[in-house]
Amino acid sequence: MKLSFKHIAPFLSTGQNKVSRWLSYFGLGIGVLLLLSSIQMYININQLLKNKNPKKDGYDYISVTKTITNENMARDHSFSEADIDELKKQPGIDDASPLLANKFLVKATGGSRIPFSADMFLEAIDEKFIDTVPKNFTWKEGQAVIPFIISSDYLELYNTVFAPSRGLPQISENSITAIIIQLECFGINGTQTFGGNVVALSDRINSVLVPQSFLVWANQHFGNSTKVNPSRIFIKTKDANSPVFLSFLEQKNYHVNKDKTKFGRIKQVLQAIVSGLAGFGILVILLAMVLFSFYLQLMIARSKENLQLLLTIGYSPHWLSKTVAKKWIPVYVMVIISAIVVTAFLHWGFQHFFMNNSELLSPSVHWIVLVVAVFLLLLSITVNFRLVKKLLYKL
Amino acid sequence: MQIILQQVVPVFIEEEKVSGSQLWNSAFVFNKGERVQIIAPSGTGKTSLIHFLYGMRKDYSGKILYNDTDIAHFDTEKFSVYRRQHISIVFQDMRLFTSQTVLQNLEIKRQLNPWHNENKIEAMAKRLGIENKLNKLCSTCSYGEQQRIAIIRSLQQPYDFLLLDEPFSHLDDNNRKKAMELMEEETLARKAAIILADLKPIEYYTATRTLNL
Repeated sequence: MKLSFKHIAPFLSTGQNKVSRWLSYFGLGIGVLLLLSSIQMYININQLLKNKNPKKDGYDYISVTKTITNENMARDHSFSEADIDELKKQPGIDDASPLLANKFLVKATGGSRIPFSADMFLEAIDEKFIDTVPKNFTWKEGQAVIPFIISSDYLELYNTVFAPSRGLPQISENSITAIIIQLECFGINGTQTFGGNVVALSDRINSVLVPQSFLVWANQHFGNSTKVNPSRIFIKTKDANSPVFLSFLEQKNYHVNKDKTKFGRIKQVLQAIVSGLAGFGILVILLAMVLFSFYLQLMIARSKENLQLLLTIGYSPHWLSKTVAKKWIPVYVMVIISAIVVTAFLHWGFQHFFMNNSELLSPSVHWIVLVVAVFLLLLSITVNFRLVKKLLYKL
Repeated sequence: MQIILQQVVPVFIEEEKVSGSQLWNSAFVFNKGERVQIIAPSGTGKTSLIHFLYGMRKDYSGKILYNDTDIAHFDTEKFSVYRRQHISIVFQDMRLFTSQTVLQNLEIKRQLNPWHNENKIEAMAKRLGIENKLNKLCSTCSYGEQQRIAIIRSLQQPYDFLLLDEPFSHLDDNNRKKAMELMEEETLARKAAIILADLKPIEYYTATRTLNL
């Protein structure tokens, strides 16, 4: 017959101090429930808010500028190379590229078909940041026609506001590529007129984009600028709502489109609340463990003479520690399973009643919650075993 | 299997007691199968020697080797193996679980490393005249009964050496004889040794060596 706890149970005062023991079980259950529910809620918030910004390739592309205030209006707001390198190194930012701007005057005219004339701006960016890059989006010195990509919002504005007010024809997305406009560039080397042809529309970048090769050449040719620090940086990130990313922007006083990151800010607040709850849960678990350790210490102190005699007649302190600590494993398992069941029930209620069975949330608890529960179980068992062992070796 | 004493001297003992002793501060070997009788008046360190051999105290100089290993270097786990497999004891002060029944006291030792089955406890108790006490609390037993319980408890495990520290101090002649016979039988079955320490020679004990402490 294998020795077990039941053989030594009569020699230990396990029945003493019941209130403290039951309070510690209850406290542990509440603490574990708080922690597991908070983790599940944290995961729910992430899942519900991560799909709020549509991403074509799994990334968010966001334009970052330096915030201009009344106090700093006169200062230079361009980004240095060090600023760009720092941005690239931030966790969560996968890539960053400057948006080069023109350093000379540009005027666009519509010719006889579309009678308009307007001062223009041009920008250029690394092609991998543009969502639609046709093959003919290239320029070589001597080329008379400059391909450019405009924001699809501009076409919408033209069709809905500009064209009706001027009695001009509306233009479809397909027909816009057939229109050639005139681009007049003014600078130290005189004036030069180029043909301009919209080769694509961009949903991503709110600008008029020309090939980088053209803008580098034109800035030097017309503006005599070889080195131009950008005022806008385009960044590529997996999650524009990442709290780390947002706090970096805030700390550097950088400005981004608030709409792109508003869910991130909501998420930050919700995550802070849920993290607070989780922290409280951990505190309750710790208090419950301390309470249980008092119970164990009292039990061992009351059974001291018997335990000493058991050791004297040949019982191993390691076996005694293991056996005494093992006695509470079923209780811990029950407490933690109960906490998982209640967490699952609360999560189901949230998904079913508050989210109307939203497909964004799984009706079952996340595997991380189960992993944390198992970790807590192992932690409780280990802490008990070590405590009992320490007390027994002291005898 | 041997227990070797190498110049063992209790740190608290007076010098004149050491010089007149056959055991203190000398080289000595206890072999398996021997019957050793250590005779000494009170206060000369009989109980201390038994406790040193059992590994309960380390307040001595010199070395005690069990199978060439200094038992002072045993950790608590090794001592528990030593005490449940190689050495058994009857304490002078019995050291029983007084709040438990006699049977519980015997079973807690037997289950640790059983040498006998459960029925043997009853047979031994009957032989020593305490069979009607098995289900009684130890605290209700007389010293003589408690001494017999301690003797039966020491025989529930395998051992190479059985240490007896004044094991019959509360027993009458008849019970002494019965207890000694039982211990001799059990020790013979294990081909083990008995090291008995007492105030005077025990007539029912056939010692192969008698030493004066």
